[in-house]
Amino acid sequence: MLDIKNLQANVGDKPILRGIDLHVKKGEVHAIMGPNGSGKSTLANVLSGREGYTVVNGSVTFDGKDLLTMTPEQRAGEGVFLAFQYPVEIPGVTNNYFMKTALNAVRKYRGEKPLDAMDFLKLIKQRASIVKMDPAMLSRSVNEGFSGGEKKRNEILQMAVLEPKLGILDETDSGLDIDALQIVAAGVNTLRSPDRALIVVTHYQRLLNYIQPDFVHVLSAGRIVKSGGKELALELEKKGYVWLEERAGVAPAA
Amino acid sequence: MTMTLSAIDPHLSVFPAEAPLAFERNGQTITLRVPKGVEASVVETFASQGDAAYATELKLEIHLEEGARLTHYKWVDEGPRADHYSFLEVHVARRAAFHSHVFLFEGARIRNTIQVRLDGEEAECSLNGLYLGSGEQVIESHTLIEHRHPHGTSREFYKGILDQKSQGLFDGLIMVQKEAQKTDSTQTNRNLLLSSQARAKSNPELKILANDVKCKHGSTIGQIDATHLFYLCSRGIPQAEAKRLLIYAFASEMINPVTLVPLREALEQRLLEKFGK
Repeated sequence: MLDIKNLQANVGDKPILRGIDLHVKKGEVHAIMGPNGSGKSTLANVLSGREGYTVVNGSVTFDGKDLLTMTPEQRAGEGVFLAFQYPVEIPGVTNNYFMKTALNAVRKYRGEKPLDAMDFLKLIKQRASIVKMDPAMLSRSVNEGFSGGEKKRNEILQMAVLEPKLGILDETDSGLDIDALQIVAAGVNTLRSPDRALIVVTHYQRLLNYIQPDFVHVLSAGRIVKSGGKELALELEKKGYVWLEERAGVAPAA
Repeated sequence: MTMTLSAIDPHLSVFPAEAPLAFERNGQTITLRVPKGVEASVVETFASQGDAAYATELKLEIHLEEGARLTHYKWVDEGPRADHYSFLEVHVARRAAFHSHVFLFEGARIRNTIQVRLDGEEAECSLNGLYLGSGEQVIESHTLIEHRHPHGTSREFYKGILDQKSQGLFDGLIMVQKEAQKTDSTQTNRNLLLSSQARAKSNPELKILANDVKCKHGSTIGQIDATHLFYLCSRGIPQAEAKRLLIYAFASEMINPVTLVPLREALEQRLLEKFGK
Protein backbone atom coordinates (compact mmCIF):
# COMPACT_ATOMS: atom_id res chain seq x y z
CA MET A 1 0.00 0.00 0.00
CA LEU A 2 2.70 2.48 1.06
CA ASP A 3 6.21 2.30 -0.37
CA ILE A 4 8.80 4.74 0.87
CA LYS A 5 12.15 4.48 -0.88
CA ASN A 6 15.28 6.34 0.15
CA LEU A 7 13.24 9.34 1.27
CA GLN A 8 15.39 12.38 2.01
CA ALA A 9 13.85 15.65 3.13
CA ASN A 10 15.07 19.01 4.38
CA VAL A 11 13.63 21.73 6.51
CA GLY A 12 15.18 24.84 5.00
CA ASP A 13 18.76 23.77 4.23
CA LYS A 14 18.88 21.29 7.05
CA PRO A 15 18.65 17.60 6.15
CA ILE A 16 16.18 15.89 8.53
CA LEU A 17 15.31 12.66 6.74
CA ARG A 18 18.45 11.03 5.37
CA GLY A 19 17.13 8.02 3.50
CA ILE A 20 14.03 6.28 4.83
CA ASP A 21 12.86 2.96 3.46
CA LEU A 22 9.53 1.69 4.70
CA HIS A 23 6.94 -0.69 3.26
CA VAL A 24 3.48 -0.90 4.75
CA LYS A 25 0.86 -3.41 3.64
CA LYS A 26 -2.85 -3.06 4.30
CA GLY A 27 -3.96 -4.23 7.71
CA GLU A 28 -0.52 -3.69 9.23
CA VAL A 29 0.31 -1.46 12.18
CA HIS A 30 3.79 0.02 12.16
CA ALA A 31 5.23 1.94 15.09
CA ILE A 32 7.89 4.56 14.41
CA MET A 33 9.88 5.31 17.53
CA GLY A 34 12.85 7.49 18.19
CA PRO A 35 14.25 10.30 20.29
CA ASN A 36 13.33 13.94 19.86
CA GLY A 37 14.80 15.38 16.69
CA SER A 38 15.15 12.00 14.98
CA GLY A 39 12.72 12.99 12.20
CA LYS A 40 9.55 11.16 13.30
CA SER A 41 7.23 14.14 12.95
CA THR A 42 8.96 15.26 9.76
CA LEU A 43 8.16 11.88 8.22
CA ALA A 44 4.50 12.21 9.24
CA ASN A 45 4.33 15.75 7.86
CA VAL A 46 6.03 14.90 4.57
CA LEU A 47 3.56 12.06 4.05
CA SER A 48 0.60 14.39 4.61
CA GLY A 49 1.96 17.16 2.39
CA ARG A 50 2.58 19.95 4.88
CA GLU A 51 4.43 22.99 3.53
CA GLY A 52 7.92 23.80 4.74
CA TYR A 53 9.54 20.47 3.90
CA THR A 54 11.57 19.86 0.75
CA VAL A 55 11.93 16.34 -0.54
CA VAL A 56 15.42 16.19 -2.06
CA ASN A 57 15.53 12.52 -2.95
CA GLY A 58 13.57 9.30 -2.94
CA SER A 59 9.98 8.39 -3.63
CA VAL A 60 6.71 7.64 -1.88
CA THR A 61 4.03 5.66 -3.65
CA PHE A 62 0.59 4.97 -2.24
CA ASP A 63 -1.47 2.29 -3.95
CA GLY A 64 0.88 2.67 -6.89
CA LYS A 65 0.43 6.45 -7.18
CA ASP A 66 3.09 9.06 -6.58
CA LEU A 67 2.07 10.60 -3.26
CA LEU A 68 4.62 13.41 -3.21
CA THR A 69 3.16 15.27 -6.20
CA MET A 70 -0.32 15.35 -4.65
CA THR A 71 -1.83 18.27 -2.72
CA PRO A 72 -2.83 17.59 0.90
CA GLU A 73 -6.51 17.39 -0.09
CA GLN A 74 -5.75 14.86 -2.85
CA ARG A 75 -3.85 12.72 -0.35
CA ALA A 76 -6.86 12.82 1.96
CA GLY A 77 -9.07 11.83 -0.97
CA GLU A 78 -6.76 8.92 -1.76
CA GLY A 79 -7.12 7.77 1.84
CA VAL A 80 -4.19 9.18 3.80
CA PHE A 81 -5.05 10.65 7.20
CA LEU A 82 -2.75 12.42 9.65
CA ALA A 83 -3.78 12.72 13.30
CA PHE A 84 -1.97 15.87 14.34
CA GLN A 85 0.41 16.11 17.25
CA TYR A 86 -0.94 19.61 17.88
CA PRO A 87 -4.52 19.79 16.56
CA VAL A 88 -5.43 23.28 15.38
CA GLU A 89 -8.18 25.41 16.92
CA ILE A 90 -10.46 26.99 14.33
CA PRO A 91 -12.78 29.59 15.85
CA GLY A 92 -16.06 30.15 14.02
CA VAL A 93 -16.21 26.74 12.29
CA THR A 94 -18.26 24.14 14.13
CA ASN A 95 -16.93 20.63 14.46
CA ASN A 96 -20.06 19.28 12.77
CA TYR A 97 -19.81 21.60 9.78
CA PHE A 98 -16.09 20.93 9.44
CA MET A 99 -16.49 17.16 9.43
CA LYS A 100 -19.47 17.22 7.09
CA THR A 101 -17.58 19.44 4.64
CA ALA A 102 -14.52 17.21 4.87
CA LEU A 103 -16.46 13.97 4.49
CA ASN A 104 -18.41 15.23 1.49
CA ALA A 105 -15.21 16.58 -0.12
CA VAL A 106 -13.58 13.18 0.29
CA ARG A 107 -16.72 11.39 -0.97
CA LYS A 108 -16.77 13.65 -4.01
CA TYR A 109 -13.10 12.85 -4.68
CA ARG A 110 -13.95 9.15 -4.50
CA GLY A 111 -16.91 9.56 -6.84
CA GLU A 112 -19.51 8.98 -4.13
CA LYS A 113 -22.69 10.98 -3.47
CA PRO A 114 -22.63 13.53 -0.66
CA LEU A 115 -24.36 12.61 2.59
CA ASP A 116 -27.38 14.72 3.47
CA ALA A 117 -27.73 16.36 6.88
CA MET A 118 -29.78 13.52 8.39
CA ASP A 119 -27.49 10.72 7.27
CA PHE A 120 -24.46 12.69 8.39
CA LEU A 121 -25.98 13.28 11.83
CA LYS A 122 -26.57 9.54 12.25
CA LEU A 123 -23.02 8.76 11.18
CA ILE A 124 -21.32 11.37 13.36
CA LYS A 125 -23.26 10.32 16.47
CA GLN A 126 -22.28 6.72 15.98
CA ARG A 127 -18.62 7.61 15.37
CA ALA A 128 -18.50 10.03 18.32
CA SER A 129 -19.42 7.12 20.58
CA ILE A 130 -16.23 5.32 19.47
CA VAL A 131 -14.15 7.96 21.27
CA LYS A 132 -16.78 8.61 23.98
CA MET A 133 -17.27 12.17 22.82
CA ASP A 134 -20.17 14.19 24.17
CA PRO A 135 -22.33 15.13 21.14
CA ALA A 136 -22.48 18.69 22.53
CA MET A 137 -18.83 19.07 21.50
CA LEU A 138 -19.84 18.60 17.88
CA SER A 139 -21.59 21.96 17.80
CA ARG A 140 -18.63 23.79 19.28
CA SER A 141 -15.90 25.43 17.20
CA VAL A 142 -13.23 22.97 16.04
CA ASN A 143 -10.93 22.22 19.01
CA GLU A 144 -11.56 25.65 20.52
CA GLY A 145 -11.22 25.43 24.28
CA PHE A 146 -10.87 21.63 24.11
CA SER A 147 -8.56 19.97 26.63
CA GLY A 148 -5.50 18.09 25.36
CA GLY A 149 -7.37 14.79 25.62
CA GLU A 150 -10.45 16.15 23.88
CA LYS A 151 -8.36 17.41 20.98
CA LYS A 152 -6.75 14.01 20.46
CA ARG A 153 -10.15 12.30 20.69
CA ASN A 154 -11.39 14.73 18.08
CA GLU A 155 -8.54 13.67 15.79
CA ILE A 156 -9.51 10.01 16.12
CA LEU A 157 -13.16 10.97 15.54
CA GLN A 158 -12.17 12.62 12.27
CA MET A 159 -10.33 9.47 11.29
CA ALA A 160 -13.43 7.43 12.12
CA VAL A 161 -15.55 9.69 9.93
CA LEU A 162 -13.19 9.86 6.94
CA GLU A 163 -12.32 6.13 7.01
CA PRO A 164 -8.85 6.41 5.49
CA LYS A 165 -6.82 3.51 4.11
CA LEU A 166 -3.77 4.74 5.99
CA GLY A 167 -3.87 6.51 9.34
CA ILE A 168 -0.74 8.23 10.58
CA LEU A 169 -0.86 9.04 14.29
CA ASP A 170 1.72 11.67 15.16
CA GLU A 171 2.53 11.54 18.90
CA THR A 172 -1.12 10.93 19.64
CA ASP A 173 -0.13 9.97 23.20
CA SER A 174 1.65 13.23 24.01
CA GLY A 175 0.02 15.24 26.75
CA LEU A 176 -2.55 12.57 27.62
CA ASP A 177 -3.25 11.22 31.08
CA ILE A 178 -3.80 7.48 31.42
CA ASP A 179 -7.60 7.68 31.17
CA ALA A 180 -7.53 9.77 28.00
CA LEU A 181 -4.83 7.53 26.56
CA GLN A 182 -6.99 4.45 27.08
CA ILE A 183 -10.01 6.08 25.42
CA VAL A 184 -7.94 7.24 22.44
CA ALA A 185 -6.23 3.85 22.09
CA ALA A 186 -9.55 1.98 22.33
CA GLY A 187 -10.89 4.26 19.60
CA VAL A 188 -7.90 3.52 17.39
CA ASN A 189 -8.25 -0.22 17.99
CA THR A 190 -11.90 -0.06 16.92
CA LEU A 191 -10.67 1.39 13.64
CA ARG A 192 -8.14 -1.35 12.99
CA SER A 193 -9.23 -3.46 10.05
CA PRO A 194 -7.72 -5.79 7.46
CA ASP A 195 -8.10 -3.00 4.89
CA ARG A 196 -6.58 -0.20 6.92
CA ALA A 197 -2.94 0.35 7.79
CA LEU A 198 -1.69 2.49 10.65
CA ILE A 199 1.61 4.23 11.29
CA VAL A 200 1.94 5.10 14.96
CA VAL A 201 4.63 7.69 15.63
CA THR A 202 5.62 7.86 19.28
CA HIS A 203 8.46 8.68 21.58
CA TYR A 204 7.33 6.32 24.34
CA GLN A 205 6.50 2.67 24.42
CA ARG A 206 3.45 3.37 26.64
CA LEU A 207 0.99 3.87 23.77
CA LEU A 208 2.08 0.54 22.26
CA ASN A 209 0.80 -1.30 25.33
CA TYR A 210 -2.65 -0.33 24.12
CA ILE A 211 -2.17 -0.25 20.35
CA GLN A 212 -0.13 -3.35 19.62
CA PRO A 213 2.02 -2.90 16.52
CA ASP A 214 3.02 -5.60 14.06
CA PHE A 215 6.35 -3.87 13.40
CA VAL A 216 8.50 -1.40 15.30
CA HIS A 217 11.06 0.83 13.59
CA VAL A 218 13.57 3.00 15.38
CA LEU A 219 14.40 6.29 13.76
CA SER A 220 17.63 8.05 14.59
CA ALA A 221 19.14 11.07 12.87
CA GLY A 222 16.83 10.66 9.91
CA ARG A 223 17.35 6.94 9.27
CA ILE A 224 15.69 3.74 10.40
CA VAL A 225 18.44 2.15 12.44
CA LYS A 226 16.57 -0.92 13.63
CA SER A 227 13.35 -2.74 12.82
CA GLY A 228 11.68 -5.57 14.66
CA GLY A 229 8.48 -6.85 16.20
CA LYS A 230 6.65 -5.40 19.16
CA GLU A 231 9.28 -6.77 21.55
CA LEU A 232 11.69 -4.12 20.19
CA ALA A 233 9.56 -1.43 21.82
CA LEU A 234 9.95 -3.13 25.20
CA GLU A 235 13.69 -3.38 24.74
CA LEU A 236 13.83 0.35 23.99
CA GLU A 237 11.79 1.09 27.08
CA LYS A 238 14.45 -0.71 29.17
CA LYS A 239 17.60 0.47 27.43
CA GLY A 240 16.62 3.87 26.04
CA TYR A 241 17.66 5.06 22.60
CA VAL A 242 21.34 5.72 23.26
CA TRP A 243 22.59 2.12 22.74
CA LEU A 244 21.06 2.05 19.27
CA GLU A 245 22.48 5.40 18.30
CA GLU A 246 25.93 4.31 19.45
CA ARG A 247 25.65 1.11 17.46
CA ALA A 248 24.51 3.03 14.41
CA GLY A 249 27.43 5.40 14.85
CA VAL A 250 25.43 8.61 15.15
CA ALA A 251 25.77 11.29 17.75
CA PRO A 252 23.02 11.01 20.36
CA ALA A 253 20.37 13.68 20.08
CA ALA A 254 21.16 16.50 22.47
CA MET B 1 -42.66 68.10 14.68
CA THR B 2 -42.83 64.34 15.02
CA MET B 3 -43.68 62.21 11.98
CA THR B 4 -44.23 58.56 11.19
CA LEU B 5 -41.13 56.68 10.23
CA SER B 6 -41.89 55.97 6.57
CA ALA B 7 -42.39 59.66 6.01
CA ILE B 8 -38.98 60.36 7.54
CA ASP B 9 -36.82 58.04 5.53
CA PRO B 10 -37.49 54.77 3.73
CA HIS B 11 -34.06 53.36 4.60
CA LEU B 12 -34.91 53.19 8.31
CA SER B 13 -37.00 50.55 10.03
CA VAL B 14 -37.88 49.97 13.66
CA PHE B 15 -38.44 46.75 15.63
CA PRO B 16 -40.87 46.31 17.19
CA ALA B 17 -42.81 48.52 14.79
CA GLU B 18 -44.96 49.97 17.58
CA ALA B 19 -41.98 51.06 19.71
CA PRO B 20 -42.68 54.64 20.89
CA LEU B 21 -39.66 56.28 19.27
CA ALA B 22 -39.74 59.92 18.23
CA PHE B 23 -38.21 60.86 14.84
CA GLU B 24 -37.57 64.26 13.34
CA ARG B 25 -36.00 65.18 10.05
CA ASN B 26 -34.21 68.37 9.22
CA GLY B 27 -32.51 68.29 5.81
CA GLN B 28 -29.89 65.51 5.86
CA THR B 29 -30.15 65.08 9.62
CA ILE B 30 -32.53 62.69 11.32
CA THR B 31 -33.00 62.89 15.07
CA LEU B 32 -34.30 59.94 17.05
CA ARG B 33 -35.31 59.95 20.72
CA VAL B 34 -35.64 56.75 22.70
CA PRO B 35 -37.82 57.55 25.72
CA LYS B 36 -37.05 56.48 29.26
CA GLY B 37 -36.98 52.72 29.73
CA VAL B 38 -37.93 51.90 26.11
CA GLU B 39 -36.16 49.03 24.35
CA ALA B 40 -36.03 48.81 20.54
CA SER B 41 -33.93 48.12 17.46
CA VAL B 42 -33.38 50.35 14.46
CA VAL B 43 -32.13 49.10 11.11
CA GLU B 44 -30.58 51.46 8.58
CA THR B 45 -30.20 49.86 5.17
CA PHE B 46 -28.40 51.60 2.34
CA ALA B 47 -29.07 49.59 -0.80
CA SER B 48 -27.60 50.10 -4.23
CA GLN B 49 -29.21 52.73 -6.46
CA GLY B 50 -27.61 51.24 -9.55
CA ASP B 51 -24.29 51.57 -11.32
CA ALA B 52 -24.35 55.36 -11.56
CA ALA B 53 -22.00 57.52 -9.54
CA TYR B 54 -23.95 59.03 -6.66
CA ALA B 55 -23.32 59.96 -3.07
CA THR B 56 -25.23 59.15 0.10
CA GLU B 57 -24.78 61.61 2.92
CA LEU B 58 -26.75 61.33 6.08
CA LYS B 59 -26.54 62.16 9.75
CA LEU B 60 -28.46 60.27 12.38
CA GLU B 61 -28.58 61.66 15.87
CA ILE B 62 -29.84 59.39 18.63
CA HIS B 63 -30.72 60.36 22.19
CA LEU B 64 -31.28 57.57 24.68
CA GLU B 65 -33.08 58.67 27.82
CA GLU B 66 -32.50 57.10 31.20
CA GLY B 67 -32.60 53.31 31.17
CA ALA B 68 -33.45 53.12 27.46
CA ARG B 69 -31.89 50.39 25.31
CA LEU B 70 -31.35 50.67 21.60
CA THR B 71 -29.67 48.33 19.15
CA HIS B 72 -28.71 50.03 15.93
CA TYR B 73 -27.83 48.17 12.73
CA LYS B 74 -26.28 49.84 9.73
CA TRP B 75 -25.95 47.84 6.52
CA VAL B 76 -24.17 49.61 3.69
CA ASP B 77 -24.49 47.93 0.29
CA GLU B 78 -24.30 50.85 -2.14
CA GLY B 79 -23.71 50.77 -5.89
CA PRO B 80 -20.17 50.02 -7.12
CA ARG B 81 -19.46 53.66 -8.04
CA ALA B 82 -21.24 55.25 -5.10
CA ASP B 83 -19.76 57.19 -2.23
CA HIS B 84 -21.26 56.75 1.19
CA TYR B 85 -20.78 59.09 4.12
CA SER B 86 -22.86 58.42 7.19
CA PHE B 87 -22.50 60.07 10.53
CA LEU B 88 -24.04 58.68 13.67
CA GLU B 89 -24.05 60.73 16.84
CA VAL B 90 -25.34 59.11 20.01
CA HIS B 91 -26.00 60.43 23.51
CA VAL B 92 -26.51 57.80 26.17
CA ALA B 93 -28.11 58.86 29.46
CA ARG B 94 -27.73 57.26 32.86
CA ARG B 95 -28.15 53.48 32.86
CA ALA B 96 -29.07 53.49 29.20
CA ALA B 97 -27.40 51.12 26.74
CA PHE B 98 -26.58 51.62 23.08
CA HIS B 99 -25.41 48.77 20.85
CA SER B 100 -24.30 49.24 17.28
CA HIS B 101 -23.62 46.68 14.55
CA VAL B 102 -22.23 48.05 11.32
CA PHE B 103 -21.82 46.09 8.07
CA LEU B 104 -19.90 47.87 5.36
CA PHE B 105 -20.03 45.85 2.14
CA GLU B 106 -20.37 47.67 -1.20
CA GLY B 107 -19.62 51.24 -2.26
CA ALA B 108 -16.57 52.76 -3.96
CA ARG B 109 -15.79 54.87 -0.94
CA ILE B 110 -17.42 54.33 2.42
CA ARG B 111 -16.91 56.51 5.44
CA ASN B 112 -18.63 55.35 8.61
CA THR B 113 -18.38 57.87 11.44
CA ILE B 114 -19.78 57.13 14.88
CA GLN B 115 -19.52 59.30 17.98
CA VAL B 116 -20.98 58.09 21.24
CA ARG B 117 -21.12 60.15 24.41
CA LEU B 118 -21.88 58.36 27.64
CA ASP B 119 -23.69 61.21 29.34
CA GLY B 120 -24.72 59.58 32.60
CA GLU B 121 -23.48 57.16 35.24
CA GLU B 122 -23.52 53.44 34.40
CA ALA B 123 -24.22 54.14 30.76
CA GLU B 124 -22.95 51.51 28.35
CA CYS B 125 -22.32 51.06 24.68
CA SER B 126 -20.90 48.55 22.25
CA LEU B 127 -19.72 49.28 18.74
CA ASN B 128 -19.28 46.34 16.41
CA GLY B 129 -18.30 46.51 12.79
CA LEU B 130 -17.50 44.30 9.84
CA TYR B 131 -16.04 45.72 6.63
CA LEU B 132 -15.46 43.70 3.48
CA GLY B 133 -13.36 45.34 0.81
CA SER B 134 -12.65 44.17 -2.73
CA GLY B 135 -11.75 45.79 -6.04
CA GLU B 136 -10.49 49.27 -5.30
CA GLN B 137 -12.89 50.05 -2.48
CA VAL B 138 -11.82 52.39 0.28
CA ILE B 139 -13.64 51.76 3.55
CA GLU B 140 -13.06 53.95 6.59
CA SER B 141 -14.48 53.84 10.08
CA HIS B 142 -13.92 56.72 12.46
CA THR B 143 -15.29 56.13 15.90
CA LEU B 144 -15.26 57.99 19.18
CA ILE B 145 -16.54 56.78 22.52
CA GLU B 146 -16.41 59.42 25.21
CA HIS B 147 -16.83 58.40 28.83
CA ARG B 148 -17.98 61.44 30.78
CA HIS B 149 -19.34 59.88 34.00
CA PRO B 150 -18.35 57.11 36.42
CA HIS B 151 -19.08 53.38 36.03
CA GLY B 152 -19.47 53.44 32.27
CA THR B 153 -18.85 50.40 30.08
CA SER B 154 -17.84 50.29 26.44
CA ARG B 155 -16.90 47.48 24.09
CA GLU B 156 -15.63 48.10 20.61
CA PHE B 157 -14.88 45.33 18.11
CA TYR B 158 -14.24 45.93 14.41
CA LYS B 159 -13.15 43.34 11.89
CA GLY B 160 -12.10 43.83 8.30
CA ILE B 161 -11.53 41.49 5.36
CA LEU B 162 -9.68 43.14 2.50
CA ASP B 163 -9.19 41.57 -0.91
CA GLN B 164 -7.65 42.71 -4.23
CA LYS B 165 -6.63 46.39 -4.08
CA SER B 166 -9.06 47.49 -1.40
CA GLN B 167 -8.11 49.62 1.56
CA GLY B 168 -9.54 49.57 5.04
CA LEU B 169 -9.02 52.09 7.79
CA PHE B 170 -10.04 51.74 11.39
CA ASP B 171 -9.58 54.89 13.39
CA GLY B 172 -11.01 54.55 16.88
CA LEU B 173 -10.63 56.78 19.90
CA ILE B 174 -11.82 56.00 23.40
CA MET B 175 -11.73 59.08 25.55
CA VAL B 176 -12.08 58.71 29.33
CA GLN B 177 -12.67 62.04 31.00
CA LYS B 178 -11.37 62.85 34.48
CA GLU B 179 -14.79 62.38 36.10
CA ALA B 180 -15.31 58.96 34.46
CA GLN B 181 -13.81 56.80 37.22
CA LYS B 182 -14.40 53.02 37.17
CA THR B 183 -14.75 53.04 33.41
CA ASP B 184 -14.48 49.59 31.87
CA SER B 185 -13.52 49.69 28.21
CA THR B 186 -12.03 47.47 25.53
CA GLN B 187 -11.26 48.18 21.90
CA THR B 188 -10.20 45.59 19.31
CA ASN B 189 -9.60 45.75 15.58
CA ARG B 190 -8.68 42.70 13.50
CA ASN B 191 -7.92 42.66 9.80
CA LEU B 192 -7.60 39.80 7.37
CA LEU B 193 -5.73 40.57 4.16
CA LEU B 194 -6.56 38.30 1.23
CA SER B 195 -4.21 39.81 -1.31
CA SER B 196 -0.75 41.30 -1.32
CA GLN B 197 -2.14 44.54 -2.73
CA ALA B 198 -4.84 45.06 -0.11
CA ARG B 199 -4.09 47.50 2.67
CA ALA B 200 -5.29 47.80 6.24
CA LYS B 201 -4.55 50.64 8.57
CA SER B 202 -5.46 50.49 12.20
CA ASN B 203 -5.32 53.34 14.70
CA PRO B 204 -6.79 52.20 17.99
CA GLU B 205 -6.37 54.91 20.58
CA LEU B 206 -7.11 55.35 24.27
CA LYS B 207 -6.99 58.72 25.97
CA ILE B 208 -7.43 58.34 29.69
CA LEU B 209 -7.67 61.28 32.09
CA ALA B 210 -9.23 59.36 35.01
CA ASN B 211 -6.98 57.31 37.29
CA ASP B 212 -9.15 54.36 38.31
CA VAL B 213 -10.22 52.61 35.11
CA LYS B 214 -9.96 49.26 33.33
CA CYS B 215 -9.15 49.80 29.66
CA LYS B 216 -7.37 47.80 27.02
CA HIS B 217 -7.03 47.86 23.28
CA GLY B 218 -5.33 45.95 20.51
CA SER B 219 -5.24 45.43 16.80
CA THR B 220 -4.00 42.82 14.36
CA ILE B 221 -3.42 42.72 10.62
CA GLY B 222 -2.72 39.29 9.16
CA GLN B 223 -3.33 36.76 6.45
CA ILE B 224 -5.13 33.45 6.48
CA ASP B 225 -3.30 31.25 8.95
CA ALA B 226 -1.35 28.60 7.03
CA THR B 227 -1.74 26.05 9.84
CA HIS B 228 -5.54 26.49 9.75
CA LEU B 229 -5.53 26.08 6.00
CA PHE B 230 -3.38 22.95 6.10
CA TYR B 231 -5.56 21.42 8.80
CA LEU B 232 -8.68 21.79 6.64
CA CYS B 233 -6.94 20.62 3.45
CA SER B 234 -5.44 17.60 5.20
CA ARG B 235 -9.03 16.50 5.80
CA GLY B 236 -9.77 16.57 2.08
CA ILE B 237 -11.27 20.05 1.77
CA PRO B 238 -9.99 21.70 -1.44
CA GLN B 239 -7.85 24.76 -0.78
CA ALA B 240 -10.21 27.32 -2.32
CA GLU B 241 -13.12 25.98 -0.28
CA ALA B 242 -11.00 25.86 2.87
CA LYS B 243 -10.11 29.54 2.37
CA ARG B 244 -13.75 30.48 1.95
CA LEU B 245 -14.62 28.56 5.08
CA LEU B 246 -11.97 30.40 7.10
CA ILE B 247 -13.02 33.80 5.71
CA TYR B 248 -16.63 33.04 6.50
CA ALA B 249 -15.69 31.97 10.02
CA PHE B 250 -13.74 35.19 10.55
CA ALA B 251 -16.72 37.29 9.45
CA SER B 252 -19.44 35.22 11.10
CA GLU B 253 -18.24 36.29 14.54
CA MET B 254 -19.69 39.72 13.74
CA ILE B 255 -22.93 38.40 12.23
CA ASN B 256 -23.81 35.79 14.86
CA PRO B 257 -24.71 38.38 17.55
CA VAL B 258 -27.42 39.91 15.32
CA THR B 259 -30.63 39.08 17.18
CA LEU B 260 -33.11 40.06 14.44
CA VAL B 261 -33.29 36.68 12.72
CA PRO B 262 -34.36 37.77 9.20
CA LEU B 263 -31.60 40.38 9.19
CA ARG B 264 -29.00 37.87 10.35
CA GLU B 265 -30.06 35.39 7.67
CA ALA B 266 -29.92 38.08 4.98
CA LEU B 267 -26.43 39.07 6.12
CA GLU B 268 -25.26 35.45 6.09
CA GLN B 269 -26.61 35.05 2.58
CA ARG B 270 -24.87 38.24 1.47
CA LEU B 271 -21.61 37.06 2.96
CA LEU B 272 -21.79 33.79 1.06
CA GLU B 273 -22.45 35.70 -2.18
CA LYS B 274 -19.61 38.09 -1.56
CA PHE B 275 -17.13 35.25 -1.11
CA GLY B 276 -18.54 33.12 -3.92
CA LYS B 277 -19.83 29.99 -2.20
